[in-house]
Amino acid sequence: MLADEPTLARLMAATQAGDKSACNVLLSEVGMWLERYFNRRVPPHAIDDLVQDVLLAVYTKRATWDPSRPFLPWLAAIARYRWVDHLRKVYKHDSKELFEEDGIADSEEDVVMARVSLETLFGQLPETQASAIQLVKIDGLSIREASAQTGQSESMVKVNIHRGLKKLSAMVEKAD
Amino acid sequence: MPTPNSRTRADLIATLTEDIAPVQRIRPMRGGLSIGAATLVAGLISIVFFGFWTGMISGEASGYFWITNGLLAMLGGGSAAAVVASALPRVGQRSNAAIWGAAMIGVLPIAGLLSILSERGAQPVIWHWECSAYALAAGSLVAIAAVAFLRRGAPVSLEHAGWMTGVASGALGSLAYGITCPLDTASHTGIVHIAPVAVAALIGRVAVPPLIRW
Repeated sequence: MLADEPTLARLMAATQAGDKSACNVLLSEVGMWLERYFNRRVPPHAIDDLVQDVLLAVYTKRATWDPSRPFLPWLAAIARYRWVDHLRKVYKHDSKELFEEDGIADSEEDVVMARVSLETLFGQLPETQASAIQLVKIDGLSIREASAQTGQSESMVKVNIHRGLKKLSAMVEKAD
Repeated sequence: MPTPNSRTRADLIATLTEDIAPVQRIRPMRGGLSIGAATLVAGLISIVFFGFWTGMISGEASGYFWITNGLLAMLGGGSAAAVVASALPRVGQRSNAAIWGAAMIGVLPIAGLLSILSERGAQPVIWHWECSAYALAAGSLVAIAAVAFLRRGAPVSLEHAGWMTGVASGALGSLAYGITCPLDTASHTGIVHIAPVAVAALIGRVAVPPLIRW
């Protein structure tokens, strides 16, 4: 069972005061909370890296939590910031990582859910942008092949991918 | 049985826990004070360079002077509060005060343009764009204070923090310089003294996010 808000807040206050055992328990509990948080947001193979990334952020930025405010919204804000950062990196450097199955996926449901949430985001893009991203960034077609398949010029395919990815990032960032 | 991932995470937690030390909580009040102090310093430097305009206290200053600088102070205060708030992570709470403040101040350039049209032929329009440059220079001190505070914090919406830093530094910089400027016509205060806010907002949007990314 995950720790509740008052317990986490108490642990965090003790962590800010330099309590080692409270810090250990807090980071372990936060790790489990983050696993759930990212479970439906990123592919299974990326969860642990992201969890560790956020744990490090929680540790280094612990002075920014105000004990008079609830802990979980603070944690969720940091987790979302890291998640958006992760998405940006994935889109920029290796778009396949976000969409492909792990091969040794722990849970088929997780993969399906990750796809479903992306489909939902795609549903908010214009058809031309969604299809350009789908064909080039997910199906792995070249710009020329995507251009032939969609009837868009090659430069339009590039423009639609650029604009679509920018909108996706903005949508993810704005989602509370 | 622990998996390799849980083992790595446990190692990370153990390492972090080992190095734990008490931390001084980052207080929003401190951010507000440092931005306020930077504005004060910018104002004092402006007075040293350009002299104190006695028209302010002798009653010579026009209503435009007071309205423009009053709105700049309100906008600067609201956007500085937004900067300070954006340094601390939270979800779903974003004040629109600065946006409404910026919209209100947008009335001044329109009033300035209308006054130019109505004054045409009666008296020369006072541009003196160097006032905008001085205001931007004064605002850079405010921007430095704001960015320093944001870097200590953990801003989670970099674009928003960038816009707000730009608006705050433009408005407070223009205010800091504005109290030394004896040109108090509607066209000069409404256009030349408001332009730095828009320019600084754009600069803030572009330049600040890379500086505060963490």
